[in-house]
Amino acid sequence: MSNENLGSWCNSRDHIWRPNRREFLFVGLLGTFGLTLPNAVRAEAKKGVKLGGKAGQAKSVIQIYLPGGMAHQESWDPKVGSPIEYRGPLGTVKTKIDGAYFSQHLDQTAKIADKLTVIRSMTHGEAAHERGTHNMFTGYRPSPALQFPSFGSVVSHEMGPRENLPPYVCIPGVPNPYAGTGYLGSAYGPFSLGSDPASGNFAVRDLTLPKGVTDERFAQRRTMREAVDAHFSSLEKSDALDGMDSFYQRAYAMISSDKAREAFAIEKETAKLRDEYGRNQAGQRMLLARRLVESGVRFVSLTYGGWDHHDNIKGAMDRTMPSFDQAFARLIRDLDERGMLDSTLVMVTSEFGRTPMINKTAGRDHWPKVFSIAMAGGGIKRGMVYGSSDPTGGEPDENPVNVQSYAKTVYHQMGIDAEKELIAPGARPIEIVDGGEVLHDLIA
Amino acid sequence: MKRCLTFLTASLLAIGSLSAKDAKLVDVKVYPPDINLTTKRDRQSFLVHASYDNGTTRDVTAKAKISLANAELGKIENFTVYPLADGETELKVSFEGQKLTIPVKVTKAQEDRPISFVLDVMPVFMKAGCNSGGCHGAARGKDGFRLSLFGYNPDGDYDYLTREIIGRRINLAIPEDSLLLTKGAGQVQHTGGKLFEPESELYQTVLRWIQAGAPKDDKNIPSPESIEIYPKQAVMEGSNTLQRLVVRAKYSDGTDRDVTSLAAFMSNNDVAVKVDPKGQLTSAERGEAFILARFETFAVGSQILVVPKGSDFKFPQVEAKNYIDELVYTKLKKIRVAPSELATDTTFLRRVYLDIIGRLPSTQELKDFETDISSGKRERIIDELIAKPEFADMWVMKWGELLRVRTIQDNGGYFSEKNTMAYYTWLREQILGNVPVDKMVQAIVSASGSTFDNPPSNYYKLETDVLKTSEDVAQVFMGMRIQCAQCHNHPFDRWTMNDYYGFASFFSQVGRKRGEDPRDTIIYNRGGGEINHPVTKRPIPPTFLGGGPADVKGKDRREVLAEWLASEKNPYFAKNLVNIVWAHFFGRGIIDPVDDVRISNPPSNPELLDELARRFTASNYDFKALVRDITNSRVYQLATQANESNASDTVNFAKGSIRRMRAEILLDSIDQVTESQERFSKTPKGMSAVQIADGNVTSYFLTTFGRATRETVCSCEVKMEPNLSQALHLLNGDTVNGKVQNGGVIKKLLAAGKQPDEIVEDLYLRTLSRKPTTVEMEKLEPFLVQKEKQEEALNDLFWSLLNSKEFMFNH
Repeated sequence: MSNENLGSWCNSRDHIWRPNRREFLFVGLLGTFGLTLPNAVRAEAKKGVKLGGKAGQAKSVIQIYLPGGMAHQESWDPKVGSPIEYRGPLGTVKTKIDGAYFSQHLDQTAKIADKLTVIRSMTHGEAAHERGTHNMFTGYRPSPALQFPSFGSVVSHEMGPRENLPPYVCIPGVPNPYAGTGYLGSAYGPFSLGSDPASGNFAVRDLTLPKGVTDERFAQRRTMREAVDAHFSSLEKSDALDGMDSFYQRAYAMISSDKAREAFAIEKETAKLRDEYGRNQAGQRMLLARRLVESGVRFVSLTYGGWDHHDNIKGAMDRTMPSFDQAFARLIRDLDERGMLDSTLVMVTSEFGRTPMINKTAGRDHWPKVFSIAMAGGGIKRGMVYGSSDPTGGEPDENPVNVQSYAKTVYHQMGIDAEKELIAPGARPIEIVDGGEVLHDLIA
Repeated sequence: MKRCLTFLTASLLAIGSLSAKDAKLVDVKVYPPDINLTTKRDRQSFLVHASYDNGTTRDVTAKAKISLANAELGKIENFTVYPLADGETELKVSFEGQKLTIPVKVTKAQEDRPISFVLDVMPVFMKAGCNSGGCHGAARGKDGFRLSLFGYNPDGDYDYLTREIIGRRINLAIPEDSLLLTKGAGQVQHTGGKLFEPESELYQTVLRWIQAGAPKDDKNIPSPESIEIYPKQAVMEGSNTLQRLVVRAKYSDGTDRDVTSLAAFMSNNDVAVKVDPKGQLTSAERGEAFILARFETFAVGSQILVVPKGSDFKFPQVEAKNYIDELVYTKLKKIRVAPSELATDTTFLRRVYLDIIGRLPSTQELKDFETDISSGKRERIIDELIAKPEFADMWVMKWGELLRVRTIQDNGGYFSEKNTMAYYTWLREQILGNVPVDKMVQAIVSASGSTFDNPPSNYYKLETDVLKTSEDVAQVFMGMRIQCAQCHNHPFDRWTMNDYYGFASFFSQVGRKRGEDPRDTIIYNRGGGEINHPVTKRPIPPTFLGGGPADVKGKDRREVLAEWLASEKNPYFAKNLVNIVWAHFFGRGIIDPVDDVRISNPPSNPELLDELARRFTASNYDFKALVRDITNSRVYQLATQANESNASDTVNFAKGSIRRMRAEILLDSIDQVTESQERFSKTPKGMSAVQIADGNVTSYFLTTFGRATRETVCSCEVKMEPNLSQALHLLNGDTVNGKVQNGGVIKKLLAAGKQPDEIVEDLYLRTLSRKPTTVEMEKLEPFLVQKEKQEEALNDLFWSLLNSKEFMFNH
């Protein structure tokens, strides 16, 4: 894993703190309010504009997050014609998109590139891990005063559970502090598996009734618990209590549904398919992600590897990328074969890219000015490279894409109006995404 | 005609509301309290602030009669005094029969103060936002032009402007053509847009500077030393009420300047109060806002409350048990909120047991307390609990989190179990012995010697990085996050890079060498070694954070720091500690989070925090006395049920707070009521979860319920939010199921010949500290009638109780 030290803002080697003016105004927001009429502003909260006909094609999302800042040069955006100190040590591979090349370790993915959209012009200004991560998980720049909700929590809030499964699941666990609920109530938090599907004894704990407790007895327990809980519920109110209630409801739903529990049973996949995904972290996590969205989970977030390659980027890529490549290519084919690709949005992101030039230790440092992400399915065009970086991979050249536009596009595909305002504490309306535009060019 | 009438009525209404029909005028003040004008361009705006008997205030500047006693010395325009001639006079103000005067002094009325880059031009960059992070303050600048972020490097900024691309940014021949002006005024293409008009003060200031030849400042120009804001507090009634602010800067040469037009303003809650760039406030919805004004590296704030108009609110007659109650009530009266009722005896008992000693009262303890009819029983039980060793365990755990006590297995067992145990044991002795907290903190910060023989020196073994150590010390002992200032002036607080590196210098000479035992380390004073400021490339002499330079000649720098840090000389020490303790008992700090003290995150009740800190200091940092004061207050003992006025209030302690028990206490409580004993790895048998010394020892239960990993000092490490895994674990996991079975409580009670309804009552008392209601009894009855299924049903009831919110929450 990347060596993120969340205790300090400034310990990454090229950290830049860049609050913008708007963020400056947010200072201390959580300071002293709390005494505002709860309904006063709620009424004013904007309804948002109507979504177009193409919105909402994605019924589920798989967010594959590569923590640490994956080099765009050694993945989606190799700099074929640049001098070696920019191009880096890896070769390239021709893809199924006309004229587009990927870095050499993405050779499986190159073969399914006709199902992907690669964005080579992502850009934001945050060169510190935690700030870049915040951007890519929430669609917002970090604010010192307001905690923003993650994509998954917003989806949870807006769409709720489906098929008795939690709407938002993190594999193997909650990856960072920005994957949480932010200002939304704790009920919209992710379900953390707490176990890695790549490990031999993988099991999600506590899904099944304890030994000796039959369904009837569990029903008796539930009735008794309700009898016991009613008194307190009638007296007390708080967000934490509501959160606990909703998690109990969700737990009941999962426990009583065999189908829901089976969603986590990766061992029900054939050995062949498990092998094809790869018996490693990338493979099994992506396979489980597919299984979960197939069963009804709306938003799965998974992480793989550590991509903070300040040193010896070649060695690191040689070790880390092939598993990703194998798993990701298989995931896209698998979804397509099952007819799920058009309704499942898959995105591969990282907090930023890496410096144009190879550094003194044969690695690359943080570079948020331009980097690449990949998207597939969920109504996104098949076989497209969108935007470009300049010949050294230093600046966006064409169609720069900011975090807000990326976020708006994701929400648009999910059928969520990103201009809708959610209510933060203090009856404060906050847009799901502030600024940016839906990237209609990406949408099939 | 009709329109005319409506207009007339509206204006009458407006006048009516201003003349304060109901509220009586109590006091009138003029701000600033004195006016000093030096040189001919100087000026000073002022405001007249009226207070009424219903707790509200009003800006009555426009209504007041104002004149200068000697009108030849100055003139008044737009509530601002301008100089005309040297001399001393008075500003005479009268409002609704109240008359007052403030002194006015004019000097050098005919002289012009030379324009200064640092004093005049740099504030323009700040006000217009030129040097913010999104614009030219970015590390690589913007569009080829760079300024230091929030002006941390004035010399550098001067060079960027005058030495790069000579003749373009600054055009001395045709000053109006300087890019600095044409860009800022939007006369040529500028990514940042138009920031000021050519007629504006901002533009004119820059223009004057360029016209003067863009001079560099003399070495001995005065520097700003502080800024002040008026009014510091206001209670605005109704929405769309206006209030002006005045911000004044004081300089090292004794002069002052009205910087209201140069300060950057922000409201932390514009749902309640909006502020415009000129410092004019407009009230909106009921609520509370903190208005921050920034100028140079200084920031000050003003607390603004907005209360509904014409409310017939009456504060109830409630007893104030001590100063805490009085100060909380004072605030509640202002915001027109009534406190909840006092919690019942049993609710109170459950709460103090959980908060003070981390376990539930036993059935017997409950009974004893309920049947005790003597007065003062709440005070007595608090004293008894504070004297128990479990009280020490609780606070050793809290200190263990602050000091990050944990084994580190990397690098071959670098921080061993032996170190952890020594550190833990030492901490426990301090708390058990109620060692004054200042002494304890001083022992830690100044610690030297073997980590085995002098356990507090482990502090410097756990963290070896100089900058990280100073950041941790600021965060733990002062509640401040100064990390930002490592690389640039803190954007939301007063800390500059000089402050940061001056503070870090205290830790630059810590020496470490191996002891005889490979696990031991000897901490010593190297007597040399510096840490350089990255801009000047020179060290900053050790400087107390917010407390001036330190005399460290020939001394161990950490000893000098410790002596200041944990003393009343440090304005933050006592406040920080009382706030941490407060947050433990209320689930929320007076400043919250407790380790994010900054001007832009103000206390919800500053007077309360000040008084707690003052008394804590006066008691010679008597920790137990502080806990006693807090828990004996009526405010701590309030019921959690809200009333109409306090339902939406979460920050003013108007009702008891509902908090999930923290991981350790929840697990210990489950153990207690099921008569079981959890075993933790590497921890002696019989230890409770609260007593685990090592932050690295955990279990699925503890991790799922958010036990701190102690990897950072952040208060956010302890997680209290519920999640799905917690619900699943309590429902299906081995903790509750296993302990209900294996503890054998039901079996024992049945064997003792207890009847089912007696057992039900027993289980309720154990877990919820109350008896079942008749409604509950009726609902449970049907499950208990079948004799052969009785035991199973009772087990299930026990399980249900442990799965109830009433059990897992402290309320």
